[in-house]
Amino acid sequence: MRRKHGSMGMEEEENEINLTPMLDVVFIMLIFFIVTATFIKEAGIQVERPDTVTADTQDDASILIAISAADEIWVDRQKRDPRAVRSIIERLHAENPKGSIVIQADEDSTNEMLVIVMEAAKAAGVTNVAIASDDG
Amino acid sequence: MRHHLDDIHVDEEENEINLTPMLDVVFIMLIFFIVTASFIKESGIDVNRPDAPVTESKPEEANILVMISSNDEIYIDRRLIDPRAVRANIERLHAENPEGSVVIQANKKSTNKVLVWVMDASRSAGVYNISIADQR
Repeated sequence: MRRKHGSMGMEEEENEINLTPMLDVVFIMLIFFIVTATFIKEAGIQVERPDTVTADTQDDASILIAISAADEIWVDRQKRDPRAVRSIIERLHAENPKGSIVIQADEDSTNEMLVIVMEAAKAAGVTNVAIASDDG
Repeated sequence: MRHHLDDIHVDEEENEINLTPMLDVVFIMLIFFIVTASFIKESGIDVNRPDAPVTESKPEEANILVMISSNDEIYIDRRLIDPRAVRANIERLHAENPEGSVVIQANKKSTNKVLVWVMDASRSAGVYNISIADQR
């Protein structure tokens, strides 16, 4: 009777799967995804970007600023006043100091707006600015 | 004796922590971070702007100066240049002065399309140091 009981206990213990190694793996994946998570601030409108041949992929882009064909500036899914762009860039840049800015300027937008946005980025302390284009 | 063994068995089962609810939570967090991981790759052209502000004038003799007029005409060396010939012209000037960078003077009313076209042409000509000047 005693031996039978002992063997029953062994079987029960063997039937339970040891979850610890799986938990380790899942935790490591979880930490990886938390650390690599970057939160890109999207502009909120689609623009017609100019075609280029030599465009580089902008890996560390964190702030997207769009300039529509009608010269309206869109940041963080809202239309913005040109004079307010600088403070918005400062605020967004503080959230992710390593990120760069990509200006998504429409083909038909004027360069006046582009220069205004670039100067605002410079005044906000962001030196890494790129102009978006369609590759190939 | 049998009673004693049963007691030990119950104690062992209670000592094992049930990991299943924690595993559920961790899995849900893992799925959340995988789903929200943004893999937006923005392609674009870097605007190389050294420490000097955009509006600061650069010594013209050291650089290749490209002007874009208000009606989107491209001028190099005060001559009107066909957009398709920009690359060849920049290549020629760059060969004469390999140290010089390209400075683009874009009129306020000129469109972004022409600006990016000139920047792309300059990059295919091998000049990656491009700055944008402001007509003020």
